[in-house]
Amino acid sequence: MTNPRPDETALAAGSIDAVDVATLQRIEALYGQLDPVPAGLIDRIQFGITLDALHAEIAELQRSADLVGVRSEGAADAQTVTFTSARLTTMVTISRISADAVRIDGWAVPGAGVTVDLRTQGGTQTVVADDDGRFVFESVPAGMAQFVLRGTDQADPPVLTPSIEL
Amino acid sequence: MIDAEPLRETLASKAAGLFRAYRTGDEARMGELVGLLTPILWHTARAQRLDRETAEDVVQSAWLVLVRNADSISDPQAVLGWLITTVRRESWRVAKRDGRTQATEFEDDDVVAPLADLPEERVLADDSAGRLWQHLARLPERCQALLRVIAFADRPDYAAVAEALGMPVGSIGPTRGRCLAKLRAQLTEDPTWENS
Repeated sequence: MTNPRPDETALAAGSIDAVDVATLQRIEALYGQLDPVPAGLIDRIQFGITLDALHAEIAELQRSADLVGVRSEGAADAQTVTFTSARLTTMVTISRISADAVRIDGWAVPGAGVTVDLRTQGGTQTVVADDDGRFVFESVPAGMAQFVLRGTDQADPPVLTPSIEL
Repeated sequence: MIDAEPLRETLASKAAGLFRAYRTGDEARMGELVGLLTPILWHTARAQRLDRETAEDVVQSAWLVLVRNADSISDPQAVLGWLITTVRRESWRVAKRDGRTQATEFEDDDVVAPLADLPEERVLADDSAGRLWQHLARLPERCQALLRVIAFADRPDYAAVAEALGMPVGSIGPTRGRCLAKLRAQLTEDPTWENS
């Protein structure tokens, strides 16, 4: 317990002035520098909100351990990730083709004719799976991405995967 | 109307304008709102001593809750306070559940705790920032939390932000209140401190 300074009560009752505002600006700068908002957080939130608006069925990520390595240095050349939902299992293999692009080979079961959107922050690419449920995105920019799969029956809701870092 | 002086916009009023536009169908404004308010929400979560990863989750889920309940917020002007309250409550709940971080409801006026896992040596390299840091560290924890979050808002918003943080009325704005007064007294007594 510290003794309050004699003038503290008077100070507390005084109006906030320019000196206080300047001090608070320095506090803002201090915390902004020491504990900044994580890189990419704002993008991830904006992305999540957009996808949330789709009201889709959410697929679960089965092998999250692999994801950590996807972008880290010295990552293996290819990573395989599996998503499952009630109606669909989707396996994707992500291969690095350059410093900032990857190729994605996917296989959805049952996936004949399934339309696959790959949503990235730069836009959406769309492919249609072949009769075996296989699909390919030849070149995708690195970054956060999320798959949206739509079956041939328009009445079914789309299946959405969690976003992963390519 | 050309001569009319524009009202000085504050964080809360800018947020209200964007949220109102979003609700009337301009969906892109939500992205701007996220960019505008995520910093203050981040510091709200971190001020409750959540680790960085947990704080990210809490902030992210607060935004989803907002979008899913956008129509239930009767006054767009209140959206800043609503988000801060949501983050504060969720931070408290998550920290309690996990038991690994100690959240506070900012009740303890006399507990001075070191600020959470921040790399102190980085600030201490800079004289003036380092001294400010040391003065802040001497304040009660609830004051540290209050000033940290308030610093990301604008003066007319202080009282509403403090209320959203669960602080008693009069904690800050329009008068200084205890926390800012304590800090000011410390800084005034520090012969090496210069007000800018």
